[in-house]
Amino acid sequence: MFYQPKTVEEALELKARLGTAARFLAGGTDLVVMMKKGRLTLEDVVDLSRLSELSGTRDEGETLYVGALCPHRTLESWPIQVLASAARQVGGPQIRNRGTVGGNVGTASPAGDVSVALLALDASVELISLRGTRMLPLREFFLGVGKTAIAVDELIAGFRFRRPSRSAFYKNGKRNSVAISVVCAGVSLDTDGYPAIALGSVASTPLRLLKTEAFLRERGLDPETALEAGRLASEEVRPITDHRASAEYRRAVAGVAVTRLLTQLMPGGAHVAHV
Amino acid sequence: MTGPDFSPVGASVRRNDARGKVTGETRYGGDLAGEDALHVAVLRSELPHAEIRGIDTAKAKALPGVVAVLTAADVPGTNRHGLIRRDQELIASRFVRYTGDAVAVVVAETAKIARRALGLIDVDYFPLPGVFTLDEALAPDAPQIHPIGNLLTRKPILRGDAETAMREAFVTVEETYLTQAVDHAFLDLEAGMAYMDGDVLTLHASGQWVHEERRLLSLALGLPQERMRIIQPATGGAFGGREDLGIQIYLALAALKTGRTVRQDYDRAESMTARHKRHPLRIRYQLGADREGNLVAAKVTVHADTGAYASTGDAVMRKSASHATGPYRVPNVQVDVFGVFTNLSPCGAMRGFGAAQMAVGYELALDKLAEALGMDRLEIRRRNLIRNGESVTTTQVIPVATGLQCLEEAQRRIGWERRDYETGSPTLKRGYGISTFCFGLGYGDGFPDASRARVRFAEDGVLEVYTGAVEVGQGLTTVMAQIAAQECGVDPESVRVIWADTHRTPESGSSSATRQTYFTGSAVQIAASELRLQLMDIGAAMLPVHWDDLTLAGGELRDRHEASLSLPIARVLEEGRRRGFSLEASGIFKPPTLPSDPEGLSPRSFITYLFGSHACSLLVDVETGEVKVERIVAVHDVGKALNPRLVTGQIEGGVTQGLGMALMEEVIRREGKILNPGFTDYILPTMVDVPPIEAVFLENADVGGPYGARGIGEPPLIGTPPAILSAIADAIGTQVTETPATPERVWRAIQEKPHRERARDLGMPASVHSGE
Amino acid sequence: MSPMSSSLPPRGSQANDDERLPLAFALNGEAVDTRVHPLDTLLEVLREKLRLTGTKGACHEGECGSCTVLVDGVPMNSCLILAPQVHGAEIVTVEGLADGETLSAVQKAFIDCGAVQCGYCTPGLLIAAKSFLETCPNPTPEEVRQGMEGNICRCTGYMKVIDAVVEAAKAMPNPKGGRHDRA
Repeated sequence: MFYQPKTVEEALELKARLGTAARFLAGGTDLVVMMKKGRLTLEDVVDLSRLSELSGTRDEGETLYVGALCPHRTLESWPIQVLASAARQVGGPQIRNRGTVGGNVGTASPAGDVSVALLALDASVELISLRGTRMLPLREFFLGVGKTAIAVDELIAGFRFRRPSRSAFYKNGKRNSVAISVVCAGVSLDTDGYPAIALGSVASTPLRLLKTEAFLRERGLDPETALEAGRLASEEVRPITDHRASAEYRRAVAGVAVTRLLTQLMPGGAHVAHV
Repeated sequence: MTGPDFSPVGASVRRNDARGKVTGETRYGGDLAGEDALHVAVLRSELPHAEIRGIDTAKAKALPGVVAVLTAADVPGTNRHGLIRRDQELIASRFVRYTGDAVAVVVAETAKIARRALGLIDVDYFPLPGVFTLDEALAPDAPQIHPIGNLLTRKPILRGDAETAMREAFVTVEETYLTQAVDHAFLDLEAGMAYMDGDVLTLHASGQWVHEERRLLSLALGLPQERMRIIQPATGGAFGGREDLGIQIYLALAALKTGRTVRQDYDRAESMTARHKRHPLRIRYQLGADREGNLVAAKVTVHADTGAYASTGDAVMRKSASHATGPYRVPNVQVDVFGVFTNLSPCGAMRGFGAAQMAVGYELALDKLAEALGMDRLEIRRRNLIRNGESVTTTQVIPVATGLQCLEEAQRRIGWERRDYETGSPTLKRGYGISTFCFGLGYGDGFPDASRARVRFAEDGVLEVYTGAVEVGQGLTTVMAQIAAQECGVDPESVRVIWADTHRTPESGSSSATRQTYFTGSAVQIAASELRLQLMDIGAAMLPVHWDDLTLAGGELRDRHEASLSLPIARVLEEGRRRGFSLEASGIFKPPTLPSDPEGLSPRSFITYLFGSHACSLLVDVETGEVKVERIVAVHDVGKALNPRLVTGQIEGGVTQGLGMALMEEVIRREGKILNPGFTDYILPTMVDVPPIEAVFLENADVGGPYGARGIGEPPLIGTPPAILSAIADAIGTQVTETPATPERVWRAIQEKPHRERARDLGMPASVHSGE
Repeated sequence: MSPMSSSLPPRGSQANDDERLPLAFALNGEAVDTRVHPLDTLLEVLREKLRLTGTKGACHEGECGSCTVLVDGVPMNSCLILAPQVHGAEIVTVEGLADGETLSAVQKAFIDCGAVQCGYCTPGLLIAAKSFLETCPNPTPEEVRQGMEGNICRCTGYMKVIDAVVEAAKAMPNPKGGRHDRA
């Protein structure tokens, strides 16, 4: 069956009733591919694309809110650098028009650029069901490749995070655009200057580097600690070797990315040129 | 676009197929069949090497909607194909040798049913040990893939005494270069339609040489050629990837067996799994020079992974051998090129055909030699490029050798003397690269190579050109219209080109080997100039003057001395018909080449040679190995640009494929399975990856080509990988010796650089050593 | 070309059994009312059901842009959209670009600049270019690169495609009134 709920209420009823028996589709940029390749057998599909209530973004003062169905395209022009830059680098324009933030997170790909950006903003995910609403820190949401802490009757409604003072994103792929990340990284500094650091494609989930962050909290951010943080980041990541890159390379690039992003975000720091 | 002064040849005439392509009206292979067509699907081997002990198709046949399930036993002819050796079965009867081998074919009412039926076929495989690397294949106890063993062929070049010359050289360098398996990745996936038209099996599918495809299919299916017709639909790219038979096999068999209209559409994964690839080469290159940098010897050993079947491997290996030292003067040469079977995708034709890989070898070895001698990379090329009347490796003398002229043009345009290494960042390094190369045109080495064409004025007065050549995107039909228009004095946009239909057009050979402008262009010119003579004779009698006094252009015959004496062509045609002139003519162009002797030498391996030079600048992020190409200059001597815009289009496209080969494209395999059979992980250059390309052509006329033209198809791809790799080495101070130079490989080369330098400083047997 | 022989057997009846979902949308300005299988993609419906074969599929995973169409004015990959998702939407394909026999400025520029080789990526590029020029009416080559990075071309090396988009912009009336020059 093909369902196209017009309200969140309807969608949640479907989710409660069908659970994992149906696929809930946002932009479809991943699901449709998997289905067509025969990796996924779909019987029932619930198309969420008409739930305009979930597609908006809100400025809530100290916090910002991004609806799950917000397309990447909308975020490209945002003043939150880490998110705007990540969104700009998800696929080509056609994908960014179609793919959604909630879809990127819900897919739980270790390489999800926007997931990494949200993680670097220490965002929380808002999960809704007929039972109610709960907020879950995003770092507790990702459990493994394609695995998340979402309950069977829940949908992702959106994401909330505190407005950072500064943030930045870095992506390394096999070509200069429209590439799956070999490593991607996001860093934000809160208003006290404390960093949140997240990396993609370096573990089975998008990864927060809590140890590296703790080091910086203790030592403060300066050129020297930025360099040391890079070294720590290389150790903290848990990459694998696959057909895109070796673990060794990913470790090295993770370190470079963290050092560069921190250097760039440091007071008086300049953008570090990379190709 | 007419008028007495307008010359169709040399003008950037608009493509005669462009309108249909921008409106969406043009029909490609997948656009043809209607809802009535049955769908064909192929079961491909799950294992890279196995013996088939049995196939049970009963369950698949019982599925409602399945019309036929075919296995090797259902193939009526020899069940064998292959462009050079017939060593591949249409449907495997006993052995499968790679994961793309066809095991069974399903014909069903819908694509979905066909796919479901594939899953219901039970194949009893007895797994055999697989061979996935050159070393595994060459090991003494290696599993044997074919009755002839694992060595397909060996192609040598022996000239002078390389052994002694190398020993006596002032300086020698040595390095091993690895190139990768590349996919053609044309966007128009294999698709087509077939049906019985009476007793004629009619096939609409894109290949590169419809007459040869008919010949091979006729043999394989046991059907006389006259009972088979192949019509090429519009074709979205080929690049060598449509040379081997593929989808034609299953379409033809299904139509023959069911008597129904059938269609088939590969998806990208099947396209990449089933189709042949560019040969990955392991090139061990040793190069020696005297004190002044004059090359004295080259010793080159190449092992090529030719995959599971011969495909065009023999010819690719020969081309690697004959192009092993490129456009340089090397008096003593010892080359050995081995084609080695593995249980991986068959390797065969792809733009550059063995010569592209070798350019990576000889250009990087030359750079290394320049470094060892403390010479400029450009200077060592200038010194060693052959000049007019000198010979390439095979001893073939090149009367017009314009490599140096190309080099100097590239040098000027890139600003070699003003190289600017300032990037403003300690982690970004700039590099400049330059390459020179040559390429033999046509099949060469004595292989029969001919094009035929027919030109006629049709009953509606339209000039028609008939050629069996295929248009795959290169602009062939436009250029042929220009040539016919030039000879017959009509507007090139009015010419009707009928192409690639085995029942209607004469055989013109393949659209490959950079040969169609030269070969079919010549055949059309010969035919059209004969037709021109008829018009001249008819018109001359009407005026009356001697035909020698007439010009034919802009739609009319005109007396060159007396402008008032003129006749519109329409009137000449009318009179010609009345007087019984045929108003048509045929042309055949069949220049000979000579096979090589046992030492690989030949005074005429190829009908002519092409020269070119590329230069580029790029940035390397030395901490991550990422590369951003800033600019590419590509200079090619094309003899004569019959259509300049088409020529620069070919150059820009070839350069971009070269950039892909240099930096990102690679078919990655593990245990015989392709890990990246789609565009998410088989990485192609996007608009952002491609820098401004300056496409430059020189026009030193070729004595044998139409209006002095040579060709342009393949060379643009060849020059770019070595130029980019040279620039990367310039930026980071060490060579990346394996393509593609992914960020990781560049990064690794940077990490290993101190070790390499230490080894060299300690006088250890690294890659550079000095003799004498 | 008339490939169909006259002696065609009846077509199979299974094909339609599961095409049960009604679907209505505007296609190049005309109303379409049909039934589809819920898991058919928009690309499949356009090409196979509606026989509008101008829109091409090449990678079927959103990487190459060959299948680009406009959905309510926004360029998207039709291979990634389930057809029922566009119920009620306005779809524009390459067949909707020309005004009768008169080609659009982008189509003309593609021909005149030599941006067409094999032509297989061309429909997707044309749609992407049309949309891009609406947001960036007077682009530099670099802006074209960034704005149209979602379309792969294997033949041209993009130079002439970029030229064509820049040239098309010059030939189009600027919606904001009057052209402005860039330094």
